[in-house]
Amino acid sequence: MNYIDEKYLYIISENRRLSKQLVNNEINIVILSNIIVHQIKEILEYPLRTEGINAKVEFGDYDNIVQDSQKYIGSSLVIIFWELCNIIDGLQYKIELLSENGFETIIEKLKLEIDLVLKNLQKTSLVLINKFTSLHFLNSNIRERNLHILGDQLNKHLKKAINANVRLVDLEKVLSIVGVEKSIDFRTFYSSKALYTVDFFKAYAEYIKPFIMSVNGKAKKILIFDCDNTLWNGILGEDGFDKIEMSSRTKAGAVFYEIQALAVDLQKQGILIGLNSKNNPDDVDEVIRFHPDMQLKDEYITINKSNWSDKVSNLREIADELNIGLDSFVVIDDSPFEVNLIKKELPEVTVLQVPVELYKYPKMFRENMGLFYNHSITAEDRKKIGMYKQQEKREGVKKKFTDIEDYLESLELKMTIHENNNSIIHRISQLTQKTNQFNLTTKRYTEGDIKNFIENKNFVIVAFSISDKFGDSGVTGLCIVNLYNKIQSAEIDSFLMSCRIIGRNIEYAFVDYLMNILNRYKINTITANYIRTKKNEQVKEFYDRCSFSLTKSTNSVRNYTLDRSNYKPKRFNYIEVINESQY
Amino acid sequence: MNHNIEDRIKYVISTVFGIPAGEINYESSPRTIVSWDSLKHMNLVIALEEEFRFKFTDEEILSMKDYTSIKQTVIDSVF
Repeated sequence: MNYIDEKYLYIISENRRLSKQLVNNEINIVILSNIIVHQIKEILEYPLRTEGINAKVEFGDYDNIVQDSQKYIGSSLVIIFWELCNIIDGLQYKIELLSENGFETIIEKLKLEIDLVLKNLQKTSLVLINKFTSLHFLNSNIRERNLHILGDQLNKHLKKAINANVRLVDLEKVLSIVGVEKSIDFRTFYSSKALYTVDFFKAYAEYIKPFIMSVNGKAKKILIFDCDNTLWNGILGEDGFDKIEMSSRTKAGAVFYEIQALAVDLQKQGILIGLNSKNNPDDVDEVIRFHPDMQLKDEYITINKSNWSDKVSNLREIADELNIGLDSFVVIDDSPFEVNLIKKELPEVTVLQVPVELYKYPKMFRENMGLFYNHSITAEDRKKIGMYKQQEKREGVKKKFTDIEDYLESLELKMTIHENNNSIIHRISQLTQKTNQFNLTTKRYTEGDIKNFIENKNFVIVAFSISDKFGDSGVTGLCIVNLYNKIQSAEIDSFLMSCRIIGRNIEYAFVDYLMNILNRYKINTITANYIRTKKNEQVKEFYDRCSFSLTKSTNSVRNYTLDRSNYKPKRFNYIEVINESQY
Repeated sequence: MNHNIEDRIKYVISTVFGIPAGEINYESSPRTIVSWDSLKHMNLVIALEEEFRFKFTDEEILSMKDYTSIKQTVIDSVF
């Protein structure tokens, strides 16, 4: 039952088997993250598929949470891994050296981004956002560090800003279950920004499972107790009314006192409580009505099957009478015989056994509370939400971005153009080697190739770097144009951009500027190609969006042409373009 | 002994990439196995570590590029 102990390999193969069995009602889970978390895919899909939920996990682009939050509006579930240490590359040490001003700038930036993401995702049925944590780096620090303060402030903001469709995931709880050391793999963090271990993902999946079960109608609705040694210590039929114990004042009773209190609490949250015990009905009735230590009074008990029938038949009757599916049942019993019988006869029922070591009973009970988790809003939730909203009003109306354009405008984007620049040959070659998604032709070039292009007067390489008010992302895109002896026509040999800067209309501002350059070379006709790979589907129609006409299209290649006089500039005024060679 | 190790490695590779173990040979690499990309490579690393109960160094992770180098790295690390 507990898949946390299963090997990763077993999870992968079982998950593959289940994926072939489940064909209908696919539940799309989208994970947006600023670190690599791909190992979570099978680990999250598998436990859900074992419950009949045909979950399918997909991932947004790496470190593109804000832009992607707009792309996945229609998904049923979005999970956000917004990792504090990678908000800016190396934040875990950079932040400690920042000026007060720099610190404030980062907080403000993140708050705005959080607001934007929440606004974009307000129609998504469920959004899970991990609370920020600095534990990975600071779990042994005595002093309060900036990273810690930043995490706290962002969490406060999150709590105030979230809508009813959002739930915050307390990562520190998950980290505490596994242990920080066992949760983190710095080996892969420094080489590929993958921070978490398989053990962490297993615990994480287990932790968030109740949210997903609930929105898919799989939350449990009723808890059925056996009585003897389950609600009280002792056997009523043998020990008698006076000898059974459920008092907080006695060693034997304390555990049962706590269990009953937890059951009452559960009932107050809307969960039905029932009894299914082999006892004389009148004896049990007497305890419920008159025992001084009995907290689970009649008013909390929806149905009582205390009789001498077998427990399986009783459970079937309860399901019939209350019109609740057996898959909504959780049963607690102390007898291994009864537990196994119910498991065998009614596999859809969740059965919990009272631990032999009684002090473990309340812990076991709490660990299974998630089974009853109900996502719908309670009156209590509403009150809390109202409280936060007022708090927000008191703090005054801060500037809120209404759409992504406003946000982009606020970034103070600056594009610097590098034309045939010898000093960045290494970076240009690297970009052609590494860029897969936003890459129109995916031609890979060595530094030698790039040097040849620059020296060859028939080619021009135009690269660009991007900066905004928060920092500089360096050379992140380029275009290689074959000018064909400059007889008025040219061909775009390569056009690519790093996926870190997708979603800011930078590509269009770049094409606008490219047209100016080609004008200078007296080029009137431009041809261009899209060569399909497994990874560049997203730019399939890029040239269509840039006024090019499609001349020929096959499954693998799309050819385009553009008469420069037909080009319609996009003119994104919020991106300032500077050509470094024009001083 | 070595034969047994090869079978275990092949079993891990075949499960991670979803292909029959019989299709794996000394030539197997990201070039011959379509689903072997850099992300699945990490899955493979984790599964191998679980199977053989040890941890690769970060250099080893980078140096394991195909079946032959994986086999060598596992043998070097386990024995």
